[in-house]
Amino acid sequence: MNAITPNPFDYHQFVNTEEGWIDRRIFWEETIYQRELEQIFAKAWQFVAHDSMIPETNDFYTTYMGEDGVIVSRQKDGSVNVFLNSCPHRGNKICLADEGNARNFSCNYHGWGFSPGGKLLGLPNEQIVYDDGDIDLERWGPRQARVDTYKGLIFATFDEEAPSLEEFLGDFRWYLDIMLDHDEGGTEFIGGGIKSYINANWKFGIENFIGDAYHGAWTHDSGARALMGESLPVPEPAGSYQASMNGHGWEFGTDGFYDLAILGQPKILEYYEKLKPKMAERLGELRATIFGSLASVAMFPNCSFLPGVQAFRVWLPRGPRKLELRTWTIVNKNMPDEIKQAFNIACNQTFNPAGIFEMDDGDNWEGNTSINKGVVTRGEKLHYGCGMKRRIEHSELPGVIYESQYSEANQRQFYQRWADLMSARSWDDVPTRYTPRYAGKPTRPE
Amino acid sequence: MSQTLSKTSGTKKNTANHASLELINEVQQFLYREARLLDAEQFRDWLGMLTEDIHYWMPYRYQRYRRNEKDPTIYEASYFNDSLDDLDKRVRRTEMDTCRSEDPASRFAHVITNIEVELTENSDELTVYSLTSVHRNMNEDDGHVMIGHREDLLRRVNSELKIARRKIILDQNIFTNKKLNTFL
Repeated sequence: MNAITPNPFDYHQFVNTEEGWIDRRIFWEETIYQRELEQIFAKAWQFVAHDSMIPETNDFYTTYMGEDGVIVSRQKDGSVNVFLNSCPHRGNKICLADEGNARNFSCNYHGWGFSPGGKLLGLPNEQIVYDDGDIDLERWGPRQARVDTYKGLIFATFDEEAPSLEEFLGDFRWYLDIMLDHDEGGTEFIGGGIKSYINANWKFGIENFIGDAYHGAWTHDSGARALMGESLPVPEPAGSYQASMNGHGWEFGTDGFYDLAILGQPKILEYYEKLKPKMAERLGELRATIFGSLASVAMFPNCSFLPGVQAFRVWLPRGPRKLELRTWTIVNKNMPDEIKQAFNIACNQTFNPAGIFEMDDGDNWEGNTSINKGVVTRGEKLHYGCGMKRRIEHSELPGVIYESQYSEANQRQFYQRWADLMSARSWDDVPTRYTPRYAGKPTRPE
Repeated sequence: MSQTLSKTSGTKKNTANHASLELINEVQQFLYREARLLDAEQFRDWLGMLTEDIHYWMPYRYQRYRRNEKDPTIYEASYFNDSLDDLDKRVRRTEMDTCRSEDPASRFAHVITNIEVELTENSDELTVYSLTSVHRNMNEDDGHVMIGHREDLLRRVNSELKIARRKIILDQNIFTNKKLNTFL
């Protein structure tokens, strides 16, 4: 992709993974934020919706890629179109609803009409208003994104030059299968997702999920004790890991059940006790054990989830000092209804703006952000040096692996990927910083 | 058709008249007392104003086109979808000495208006509509207002009124704050 503005910096100067620090300006400066919209959100593949949110022909869902509003819509042939939610005439929004079903869209300003797939179909009183040759309807539809899916998740990018989704996700697909493909029916979202604002830089949300096991026992102690009657455990370094692949990251234990137990719902534990042997057949013992262990996950650039708790979310940037959080509950399609409902209730009870755990996070991230209005403060570095020496090779786990889930390895890798993309003039400049094991290969035996 | 707010006839059946002034006064005092307990974060006492079988529900409010509108269900995303035991867990969190995000305390004002009392076929139960406007200020200057349309089922238990059902419809699509650290 051509850089939209001349590249003024090597952004690696803000991120030092060798010394373990980050420059606070990346959480505050408007110019850096604008560059993120161009270099990351206009380029990288991003999660936009789950297949189950738009099951029927002409179902749609509206969201954002960066700050670009998009409509995600199901076509007659089952495929999905993602296109800019902006009328090519004066720019007004084409669709004002969160979701629904529409045989066509029309702009409220002059009434330009669009197909569910985003083709410009017609202009009111076209014969009178326009002369032959004034407008080519084919040429003037809203811009379409590239769309691809991975096991129920719909991704899009506006960059024609971006690598394939499979390459973009890389070996992270091996881990994603733990969440998306541990049951033969695959997954679906429970209806509805809650949207909320947090006055924090979007990266504080994502870095928390990508590799901040550390905060759990301190930040969420009251919630853990209220739900389970005991504090969260401090995990042993051995048998717990951080895994990172090009900015995607999974931090996890191998206890097998802690994130399932955290919801305090015996029915959920019973369901997974029965399912675990089948999961091991599908994914192998290790991956079946990783599911449900104390863990948190993030996909570069802005999507996160908690396997076992089944909270799924996206962090939409709203300026350098504000984000919009959208949360969902993800369940197995084949789960009995009562287990789905147990997850719906428990997941909303813990991870939405009223959630027992969620409520403890927002103030911290807002504090991390707003404090940088001080110029002296902003000039100080932030420490990201935890677990610098714990890198290991693992026979089964793909990616860059660090032992101990208490570590900032995944966060350092995330910010390195951030700097790589921020500084790149084309995708050729963007290095792959791990050795892929599954390039061109399925991550689960068919 | 309304997506979320209950619609009742304004003229056909003015059941509000059937509730005596004395009863209306009792209900108002009950709701004001509840608001005062919530302002003061006396959540344990507040739980005592609920029946054992309470369903406390605040569904997410979608923005759909009118033709696509549908009523929320308990099988979809909700801010609250709670039994008494669920509410008790939330209250327990605030009682822990490690509940750091609630220290220093937020400042709350629950303003209750538009109270309407309807008798039901069950002489022990009342349907009560009200509007709550929750003003919250926290930290240095973090202010937030939440407006909720409430539909309650009040039940008389051993001569005392208690809340048996509450449905709250918030007036926001995007919840415009990081946390909802009170009850509406």
